Amino acid sequence: MRKFLVVAIPTVTLILFILIMHSGKILKKPLGNNDNIPQSLDNIIDNVNNESWEAAEDNLVKLNKAWKKVLFRVQFSSGKDEIYKLDTSIARLEGAVEAEDKAAALIEIYEVYNHWEELGK
Amino acid sequence: MNESLVIVVRAIISFFTLLIFARLLGKEQISQLSYFDYVIGITIGSIASEATVDISSRPWESFMGLLSWTVLAFIMQVVTLKWRYAAKVIEGEPVIIIMNGKIMDNVLKKMKLRVSDVLELLRNQGIFDYNEVDYAILESNGSLSVLKKSEYLPLTPKDMNIKVKQTGISTELIYDGVIIEENLKQMNKNEKWLMNQLKKYGIKDPSEALLVTLNDAGSLYVDKYDDKIKKVKDIGDYKGPF
Repeated sequence: MRKFLVVAIPTVTLILFILIMHSGKILKKPLGNNDNIPQSLDNIIDNVNNESWEAAEDNLVKLNKAWKKVLFRVQFSSGKDEIYKLDTSIARLEGAVEAEDKAAALIEIYEVYNHWEELGK
Repeated sequence: MNESLVIVVRAIISFFTLLIFARLLGKEQISQLSYFDYVIGITIGSIASEATVDISSRPWESFMGLLSWTVLAFIMQVVTLKWRYAAKVIEGEPVIIIMNGKIMDNVLKKMKLRVSDVLELLRNQGIFDYNEVDYAILESNGSLSVLKKSEYLPLTPKDMNIKVKQTGISTELIYDGVIIEENLKQMNKNEKWLMNQLKKYGIKDPSEALLVTLNDAGSLYVDKYDDKIKKVKDIGDYKGPF
């Protein structure tokens, strides 16, 4: 029994650590209400294409709330750099929406998308 | 992102991963380490510390670095265990630096050692008169093993043809005031015998003893909590805060 524990405890510990380090892939998926980032981005793309800037601003607020929720879950498996890049591109998107600049807004949305897909990959 | 919380979680992961990997690699004492083992240890430790505080990269990347170095070190250990030639190349081998009392200066040059280094190593072995040395071997972990000339070796009972009783190793009978029953049984003694012996040392209860050991020759070592030493000798050369 003792020999089994000597092998089992370190093995289970290492498996647990590996799971924590890879948890980002699962935890970035929507688990509850208002934490669906791809959905929020899709909505913003529609709003920007239709030039419905007020709706885009509302969806940006939702996107920020969703990102805050997801960030808490993925922070242990992600690097600060990739989180910072996503944060920055969301901030730039906010500026583009406020300026009602369709081209800039679309560029920023796709950048946010790209950073999102890279997160926890 | 809560940086402090992330660092704490990463520290826990690195700490226990390092502990598990270090146990996997074995080598419990620094003195067992070769120069290469030492370098591997430093590198693995530095990767672990980076995994903790450098939160700009993902923890998995550092973990993979840690794992790769550990696996390589493990492979190296197996290779050096199974293949003596590789062990000689990787870990080095013992070299004779003093032979028949003569310092092998060409070997010293090869090992990049100065005569003063050899003298220092000899002094560390308690040898201040270099005439006493017959052989000195520099081991692969950097320590020096010395064989003294026969005339400087200590006199033993065998030299004097004196028969001595085997003392064997000491077994703990009381540790921290508690009797260790298994050891008593192992030594074929019982509590009554032990208490009779302790009475001779003025001990009425086992809790008064810090340590009691018995060797195979039947000799007891007794240390009481109350040492009755009024003035403790101070070997410090300097008045410190305590």
